[in-house]
Amino acid sequence: MEDPPSLNGNSNSFVEFMKAVYRTVDRPVTWFRETVVVPNRPDHVYYHQKFRRVPTIDECYTDDMVCRFEAQQQFNRDKLVDGEIVQLVRQRYKECLISEQPDHTRKCAKLLADFEKVSENFCMKYADLGPFNNVKDAYMKQKHRMLWERRHGKVGTGMKNQDGL
Amino acid sequence: MAAFSLLRAFASKVNLPKNAINQGILVLRSNPNNALQVVRQMSEHRTMHIKPSRWSWNRFKDFMHFYIMLGAIPAAFVITYVNVFIGPARLAEIPEGYVPEAHEYFPHPITRWLAKHVHKSYQQEYEIMCHHIYEVEYEQKLRQAEKRIKQKMEEKQDTQAYYYQPVSSRHERSIRDNAQTDLEMSGSN
Repeated sequence: MEDPPSLNGNSNSFVEFMKAVYRTVDRPVTWFRETVVVPNRPDHVYYHQKFRRVPTIDECYTDDMVCRFEAQQQFNRDKLVDGEIVQLVRQRYKECLISEQPDHTRKCAKLLADFEKVSENFCMKYADLGPFNNVKDAYMKQKHRMLWERRHGKVGTGMKNQDGL
Repeated sequence: MAAFSLLRAFASKVNLPKNAINQGILVLRSNPNNALQVVRQMSEHRTMHIKPSRWSWNRFKDFMHFYIMLGAIPAAFVITYVNVFIGPARLAEIPEGYVPEAHEYFPHPITRWLAKHVHKSYQQEYEIMCHHIYEVEYEQKLRQAEKRIKQKMEEKQDTQAYYYQPVSSRHERSIRDNAQTDLEMSGSN
C-alpha cells in the first residue's frame, strides 16, 4: 500500500500511528511469505495465446461454411480484444477524473477525446447488431454504412434529402 | 422458581400413573380401606420409549459428515496446499520458435491441471467443429444437387430413367438362401 502523494513529505503522529498499526499485521505476514512460501514454489510461467489471422468474412466464398465459422470465431476474439481496449482507455480517463477532480474538464480533456473516439469506433463495428452477434451482420452493417456515407456524407451530418437519394 | 424445580423432581419420583408409563413401575392406588393395591402387573422391566422420530436428524448428521469430512475438508487442504506451495505462474513472453501446450496458457495450477488432464483444448474443439461443419456441408450440398436434378427431370420429362428407384436385393438373396436351407433340412412334400 503506497501513501497518497500528499502524505509523502510531512506526516503527523496520527498518520505514523496508523502506519504502525498496519505494520503490526503486515510485517509478520510479509516475512512469512518471503521466507517460507515464495522460495519453496517452483518457478513456472504462463503465456498469452497468439492466434493466427484467418481469412475474414469478406474473403470467404458464400457457400464455404468452414471459412465462415473461422471468420466468426476470429470476429468473436477481436470483439473481446477491442472491448478490453475500450475498458483500458475508459479506466485511464476515470483515474484522471478522480485524481484531478476540480480541474478535470481542463486536465482530462485529451483522455476524454481519446475515449470518445475509441468507443465510437467500437460502436461503429460491433454495436446495434442485436443479441445474437453474427459476423455477416457486422459485414452488412459496414456495407450499409458505406452506402449511406456515399449518399449523404459522413454519419452525423444528416441526410441530404428525405427520400434518401 | 427453585420451588418449581423441586416440585418437578418430586413429581417425577412419586407414584403417579404418568411416571409409570416411562418407568414401568408398579402403580399403586389407595382404596377406602387404606391399603395399597397393585393395579398394573408388568412382566418385564424394559418398555418402549415413545418419542418422536429422530430419522431426519440422523440423516442430516450423516449428510453433514459426508459432505464436510469427505468434501469440504479435503478440498480445503488441497486448495490451501496448491495456493501456498505451488502458487500461480508468472507471465512471460513466448520464446522464439516454441509452441506452448494448451495448459501453459493458464496461470493457476489447478486450472492448468484441469486443462492438461480433463478438458479438450481450444484448438482441438475448434478443429473438431471445423471438420463437423465440413461433413455436414458436404451432405447438404449433395442433397441440394439431388433436389435440383429431380426438379429438372420433372420439368423436362426427357429421360428414360422414370425416376429410377434404387433397389437392393439383399433381402431377396437371404430369403432365397433360407428357403434352400429349409428345403434341405425338412424336405418337400
